[in-house]
Amino acid sequence: MPRLPHRLPPTIPVKKSILVSRPANGHEVFIPQIRKLVFEYCDAWSSSANLRRYIFNHVESLARENPHVEVVVKERPSKHPIVRGFYLNNRDKVIGLKEFDVNQIQNKVQLLLDASGHKIVPLKRKTVVSTAESARGIWSGFHVQEPYRI
Amino acid sequence: MAGVFRFSSPSRLFGARLASSLAASPLDLLRSQPSHYIIASIVGHRHLLAPRDLLTIPRIHDARVGDRLLLSEVHELGSRDYTIRGDPILPASVVRVEATVVEHTKGRMERIVKFKKRKHYKKTVEHKQTYTRIRIGPFQIGTDIAPVETKNTQSYT
Repeated sequence: MPRLPHRLPPTIPVKKSILVSRPANGHEVFIPQIRKLVFEYCDAWSSSANLRRYIFNHVESLARENPHVEVVVKERPSKHPIVRGFYLNNRDKVIGLKEFDVNQIQNKVQLLLDASGHKIVPLKRKTVVSTAESARGIWSGFHVQEPYRI
Repeated sequence: MAGVFRFSSPSRLFGARLASSLAASPLDLLRSQPSHYIIASIVGHRHLLAPRDLLTIPRIHDARVGDRLLLSEVHELGSRDYTIRGDPILPASVVRVEATVVEHTKGRMERIVKFKKRKHYKKTVEHKQTYTRIRIGPFQIGTDIAPVETKNTQSYT
Protein backbone atom coordinates (compact mmCIF):
# COMPACT_ATOMS: atom_id res chain seq x y z
CA MET A 1 0.00 0.00 0.00
CA PRO A 2 1.81 3.22 -1.12
CA ARG A 3 2.09 5.95 1.52
CA LEU A 4 1.44 9.63 0.77
CA PRO A 5 4.52 11.90 1.03
CA HIS A 6 4.71 14.15 4.09
CA ARG A 7 4.45 17.32 2.06
CA LEU A 8 2.05 17.27 -0.89
CA PRO A 9 3.03 19.26 -3.99
CA PRO A 10 1.44 22.74 -4.26
CA THR A 11 -1.94 22.69 -6.00
CA ILE A 12 -2.19 24.19 -9.45
CA PRO A 13 -4.92 26.84 -9.71
CA VAL A 14 -7.73 25.47 -11.90
CA LYS A 15 -9.29 27.68 -14.54
CA LYS A 16 -13.05 27.94 -14.34
CA SER A 17 -13.36 27.12 -18.06
CA ILE A 18 -11.96 23.63 -17.40
CA LEU A 19 -14.84 22.91 -15.02
CA VAL A 20 -17.47 23.85 -17.61
CA SER A 21 -18.75 20.86 -19.57
CA ARG A 22 -18.81 21.14 -23.32
CA PRO A 23 -21.71 19.44 -25.10
CA ALA A 24 -20.89 16.35 -27.13
CA ASN A 25 -24.17 14.62 -27.93
CA GLY A 26 -23.50 11.04 -28.93
CA HIS A 27 -20.13 10.69 -27.20
CA GLU A 28 -21.37 8.35 -24.45
CA VAL A 29 -25.14 8.88 -24.57
CA PHE A 30 -27.14 9.95 -27.60
CA ILE A 31 -30.20 12.18 -27.18
CA PRO A 32 -32.40 12.51 -30.29
CA GLN A 33 -32.71 16.19 -31.17
CA ILE A 34 -36.26 16.15 -32.54
CA ARG A 35 -38.99 16.55 -29.92
CA LYS A 36 -42.23 17.21 -31.82
CA LEU A 37 -43.76 16.65 -35.26
CA VAL A 38 -46.91 18.56 -36.20
CA PHE A 39 -48.92 17.56 -39.27
CA GLU A 40 -51.27 20.32 -40.41
CA TYR A 41 -53.91 19.46 -43.00
CA CYS A 42 -57.11 20.87 -44.45
CA ASP A 43 -60.33 18.82 -44.57
CA ALA A 44 -61.74 20.52 -47.66
CA TRP A 45 -58.90 21.18 -50.08
CA SER A 46 -57.71 18.40 -52.40
CA SER A 47 -54.02 19.34 -51.92
CA SER A 48 -54.27 17.71 -48.46
CA ALA A 49 -55.78 14.46 -49.76
CA ASN A 50 -52.48 12.57 -49.69
CA LEU A 51 -51.56 13.91 -46.27
CA ARG A 52 -54.96 12.87 -44.96
CA ARG A 53 -54.31 9.39 -46.39
CA TYR A 54 -50.86 9.34 -44.74
CA ILE A 55 -52.32 10.44 -41.40
CA PHE A 56 -55.00 7.76 -41.62
CA ASN A 57 -52.56 4.94 -42.52
CA HIS A 58 -49.09 5.73 -41.22
CA VAL A 59 -49.03 8.30 -38.43
CA GLU A 60 -49.84 5.86 -35.64
CA SER A 61 -47.03 3.46 -36.56
CA LEU A 62 -44.69 6.45 -36.95
CA ALA A 63 -45.47 7.57 -33.40
CA ARG A 64 -45.01 4.04 -32.09
CA GLU A 65 -41.61 3.61 -33.81
CA ASN A 66 -40.38 6.98 -32.51
CA PRO A 67 -41.39 7.14 -28.83
CA HIS A 68 -39.13 10.14 -28.20
CA VAL A 69 -41.19 12.31 -30.60
CA GLU A 70 -44.48 14.00 -29.71
CA VAL A 71 -46.69 13.62 -32.79
CA VAL A 72 -49.49 16.14 -33.25
CA VAL A 73 -52.13 16.16 -35.98
CA LYS A 74 -53.75 19.53 -36.40
CA GLU A 75 -56.32 21.03 -38.75
CA ARG A 76 -55.27 24.07 -40.77
CA PRO A 77 -58.39 25.05 -42.71
CA SER A 78 -58.17 26.65 -46.17
CA LYS A 79 -54.39 26.30 -46.32
CA HIS A 80 -52.02 23.88 -48.07
CA PRO A 81 -50.67 21.01 -45.95
CA ILE A 82 -47.40 21.32 -44.03
CA VAL A 83 -45.36 19.36 -41.51
CA ARG A 84 -43.38 21.09 -38.77
CA GLY A 85 -40.52 19.61 -36.78
CA PHE A 86 -39.52 21.14 -33.45
CA TYR A 87 -36.02 20.55 -32.07
CA LEU A 88 -34.24 20.82 -28.76
CA ASN A 89 -32.26 23.89 -29.87
CA ASN A 90 -35.58 25.83 -30.11
CA ARG A 91 -35.49 25.89 -33.91
CA ASP A 92 -38.12 24.43 -36.17
CA LYS A 93 -38.19 23.14 -39.73
CA VAL A 94 -41.33 23.57 -41.82
CA ILE A 95 -41.86 21.55 -45.01
CA GLY A 96 -44.77 22.15 -47.37
CA LEU A 97 -46.51 18.98 -48.54
CA LYS A 98 -48.69 20.41 -51.29
CA GLU A 99 -49.27 17.78 -54.03
CA PHE A 100 -46.89 15.29 -52.44
CA ASP A 101 -47.42 11.52 -52.75
CA VAL A 102 -47.56 9.39 -49.60
CA ASN A 103 -44.02 8.12 -50.32
CA GLN A 104 -42.72 11.66 -50.72
CA ILE A 105 -44.40 12.63 -47.44
CA GLN A 106 -42.66 9.67 -45.77
CA ASN A 107 -39.30 10.87 -47.14
CA LYS A 108 -39.84 14.37 -45.79
CA VAL A 109 -40.90 13.05 -42.40
CA GLN A 110 -37.75 10.90 -42.29
CA LEU A 111 -35.69 13.99 -43.18
CA LEU A 112 -37.17 15.81 -40.18
CA LEU A 113 -36.57 12.83 -37.87
CA ASP A 114 -32.92 12.53 -38.98
CA ALA A 115 -32.09 16.23 -38.68
CA SER A 116 -30.59 17.95 -35.67
CA GLY A 117 -32.42 21.26 -36.00
CA HIS A 118 -29.30 23.27 -36.77
CA LYS A 119 -29.32 25.76 -39.62
CA ILE A 120 -28.23 24.31 -42.96
CA VAL A 121 -24.66 25.47 -43.59
CA PRO A 122 -22.01 24.43 -46.12
CA LEU A 123 -20.38 21.26 -44.79
CA LYS A 124 -17.81 20.53 -47.52
CA ARG A 125 -14.84 22.10 -45.72
CA LYS A 126 -15.78 21.24 -42.13
CA THR A 127 -14.84 17.58 -41.92
CA VAL A 128 -13.79 17.39 -38.27
CA VAL A 129 -15.19 19.76 -35.64
CA SER A 130 -13.21 19.34 -32.45
CA THR A 131 -12.92 20.98 -29.05
CA ALA A 132 -10.03 18.73 -28.00
CA GLU A 133 -6.56 20.21 -27.64
CA SER A 134 -3.89 18.42 -29.64
CA ALA A 135 -2.62 15.30 -27.86
CA ARG A 136 0.98 15.81 -28.95
CA GLY A 137 1.09 19.47 -28.06
CA ILE A 138 2.13 22.43 -30.17
CA TRP A 139 5.76 22.88 -31.18
CA SER A 140 7.52 25.82 -29.57
CA GLY A 141 10.74 27.32 -30.87
CA PHE A 142 11.68 28.36 -27.35
CA HIS A 143 11.63 24.80 -26.03
CA VAL A 144 14.10 23.00 -28.28
CA GLN A 145 17.59 21.74 -27.54
CA GLU A 146 19.31 24.02 -30.04
CA PRO A 147 17.48 27.36 -30.40
CA TYR A 148 17.89 28.97 -33.78
CA ARG A 149 20.51 31.74 -33.76
CA ILE A 150 20.27 34.50 -36.34
CA MET B 1 1.52 -7.56 -32.23
CA ALA B 2 1.97 -5.91 -35.62
CA GLY B 3 2.98 -2.30 -35.30
CA VAL B 4 5.75 0.20 -34.66
CA PHE B 5 6.17 1.71 -31.19
CA ARG B 6 7.68 5.20 -31.04
CA PHE B 7 9.22 6.68 -27.90
CA SER B 8 10.29 10.33 -28.08
CA SER B 9 13.68 11.48 -26.69
CA PRO B 10 13.83 12.62 -23.03
CA SER B 11 14.89 16.18 -23.97
CA ARG B 12 11.48 16.71 -25.57
CA LEU B 13 9.60 15.64 -22.50
CA PHE B 14 9.49 18.81 -20.45
CA GLY B 15 6.53 18.70 -18.07
CA ALA B 16 5.67 15.06 -18.90
CA ARG B 17 5.57 12.17 -16.43
CA LEU B 18 7.73 9.33 -17.72
CA ALA B 19 7.19 5.75 -16.62
CA SER B 20 10.05 4.88 -14.29
CA SER B 21 10.71 1.56 -16.01
CA LEU B 22 10.69 1.01 -19.77
CA ALA B 23 9.84 -2.61 -19.11
CA ALA B 24 6.16 -1.51 -18.88
CA SER B 25 4.12 -2.62 -21.89
CA PRO B 26 3.49 -0.10 -24.70
CA LEU B 27 -0.23 -0.04 -23.96
CA ASP B 28 0.38 0.70 -20.27
CA LEU B 29 2.66 3.58 -21.23
CA LEU B 30 0.07 4.93 -23.65
CA ARG B 31 -2.71 4.60 -21.11
CA SER B 32 -0.68 6.56 -18.55
CA GLN B 33 -0.88 9.67 -20.73
CA PRO B 34 -3.79 12.08 -20.39
CA SER B 35 -4.94 12.50 -24.00
CA HIS B 36 -4.82 10.42 -27.16
CA TYR B 37 -5.52 10.64 -30.86
CA ILE B 38 -6.12 8.10 -33.60
CA ILE B 39 -5.66 8.18 -37.34
CA ALA B 40 -8.48 6.18 -38.87
CA SER B 41 -9.81 5.58 -42.36
CA ILE B 42 -13.53 6.20 -42.63
CA VAL B 43 -15.29 5.81 -45.98
CA GLY B 44 -11.96 5.99 -47.79
CA HIS B 45 -10.59 9.12 -46.10
CA ARG B 46 -7.98 9.31 -43.32
CA HIS B 47 -8.77 11.56 -40.38
CA LEU B 48 -6.95 12.50 -37.19
CA LEU B 49 -9.56 12.08 -34.48
CA ALA B 50 -9.91 12.61 -30.75
CA PRO B 51 -12.80 11.63 -28.49
CA ARG B 52 -15.84 13.95 -28.68
CA ASP B 53 -15.03 15.03 -32.24
CA LEU B 54 -17.86 15.55 -34.71
CA LEU B 55 -17.00 14.09 -38.12
CA THR B 56 -18.91 14.81 -41.34
CA ILE B 57 -18.80 12.04 -43.92
CA PRO B 58 -20.80 11.19 -47.07
CA ARG B 59 -24.29 9.87 -46.29
CA ILE B 60 -24.38 6.28 -44.99
CA HIS B 61 -27.82 5.05 -45.98
CA ASP B 62 -27.77 1.83 -43.95
CA ALA B 63 -27.09 3.49 -40.61
CA ARG B 64 -29.91 5.09 -38.67
CA VAL B 65 -29.58 8.06 -36.33
CA GLY B 66 -28.42 6.79 -32.94
CA ASP B 67 -26.59 3.71 -34.29
CA ARG B 68 -23.11 2.98 -32.98
CA LEU B 69 -20.46 2.27 -35.63
CA LEU B 70 -17.18 0.50 -34.88
CA LEU B 71 -14.11 2.01 -36.57
CA SER B 72 -12.40 -1.00 -38.10
CA GLU B 73 -9.47 0.73 -39.82
CA VAL B 74 -7.39 2.47 -37.18
CA HIS B 75 -3.90 3.13 -38.50
CA GLU B 76 -2.31 4.86 -35.54
CA LEU B 77 -2.95 5.45 -31.86
CA GLY B 78 -0.84 8.09 -30.19
CA SER B 79 -0.41 10.41 -27.24
CA ARG B 80 2.09 13.12 -26.32
CA ASP B 81 5.11 10.84 -25.99
CA TYR B 82 4.17 7.47 -27.48
CA THR B 83 2.64 6.21 -30.72
CA ILE B 84 1.59 2.80 -31.94
CA ARG B 85 1.34 2.48 -35.68
CA GLY B 86 -0.34 -0.39 -37.47
CA ASP B 87 0.82 -2.19 -40.59
CA PRO B 88 -1.44 -1.00 -42.18
CA ILE B 89 -4.10 -1.20 -39.46
CA LEU B 90 -3.89 -1.88 -35.75
CA PRO B 91 -5.30 -5.16 -34.45
CA ALA B 92 -8.56 -5.01 -32.52
CA SER B 93 -6.81 -5.87 -29.24
CA VAL B 94 -4.92 -2.55 -29.25
CA VAL B 95 -7.71 -0.01 -29.51
CA ARG B 96 -11.46 -0.02 -29.93
CA VAL B 97 -13.27 3.13 -31.00
CA GLU B 98 -16.99 3.50 -31.59
CA ALA B 99 -18.81 6.40 -33.19
CA THR B 100 -22.50 7.34 -32.90
CA VAL B 101 -24.50 8.57 -35.86
CA VAL B 102 -25.79 11.94 -34.69
CA GLU B 103 -27.66 13.12 -37.77
CA HIS B 104 -28.28 12.69 -41.46
CA THR B 105 -28.28 16.09 -43.05
CA LYS B 106 -27.91 17.92 -46.34
CA GLY B 107 -25.59 20.77 -47.24
CA ARG B 108 -26.64 24.15 -48.58
CA MET B 109 -28.29 24.32 -52.02
CA GLU B 110 -25.65 24.45 -54.77
CA ARG B 111 -26.59 25.86 -58.13
CA ILE B 112 -24.44 24.65 -61.04
CA VAL B 113 -25.03 26.82 -64.09
CA LYS B 114 -23.82 25.61 -67.48
CA PHE B 115 -23.80 28.27 -70.14
CA LYS B 116 -22.55 28.69 -73.70
CA LYS B 117 -22.81 32.15 -75.15
CA ARG B 118 -24.56 32.78 -78.48
CA LYS B 119 -25.66 29.10 -78.63
CA HIS B 120 -28.92 29.36 -76.69
CA TYR B 121 -27.59 26.88 -74.10
CA LYS B 122 -28.13 27.41 -70.42
CA LYS B 123 -28.71 24.70 -67.87
CA THR B 124 -29.13 25.00 -64.13
CA VAL B 125 -28.65 22.02 -61.82
CA GLU B 126 -29.77 22.43 -58.22
CA HIS B 127 -28.12 20.04 -55.79
CA LYS B 128 -27.90 19.43 -52.05
CA GLN B 129 -25.09 17.10 -50.99
CA THR B 130 -26.14 14.51 -48.38
CA TYR B 131 -23.98 14.00 -45.30
CA THR B 132 -23.89 11.93 -42.13
CA ARG B 133 -22.38 13.38 -38.97
CA ILE B 134 -20.89 11.02 -36.42
CA ARG B 135 -19.58 11.68 -32.92
CA ILE B 136 -16.41 9.82 -31.92
CA GLY B 137 -16.74 7.94 -28.64
CA PRO B 138 -14.09 7.27 -25.97
CA PHE B 139 -10.97 5.27 -26.89
CA GLN B 140 -10.72 1.84 -25.26
CA ILE B 141 -7.03 0.97 -25.15
CA GLY B 142 -5.74 -2.55 -24.56
CA THR B 143 -7.39 -4.57 -21.81
CA ASP B 144 -10.36 -2.18 -21.44
CA ILE B 145 -11.80 -3.60 -24.65
CA ALA B 146 -15.12 -5.41 -24.25
CA PRO B 147 -15.60 -8.60 -26.36
CA VAL B 148 -16.84 -7.82 -29.87
CA GLU B 149 -20.22 -9.18 -30.94
CA THR B 150 -20.15 -9.78 -34.67
CA LYS B 151 -23.89 -10.23 -35.19
CA ASN B 152 -24.62 -7.15 -37.30
CA THR B 153 -21.46 -5.90 -38.96
CA GLN B 154 -21.42 -3.93 -42.20
CA SER B 155 -18.26 -2.53 -43.72
CA TYR B 156 -18.47 1.03 -45.02
CA THR B 157 -14.90 1.31 -46.34
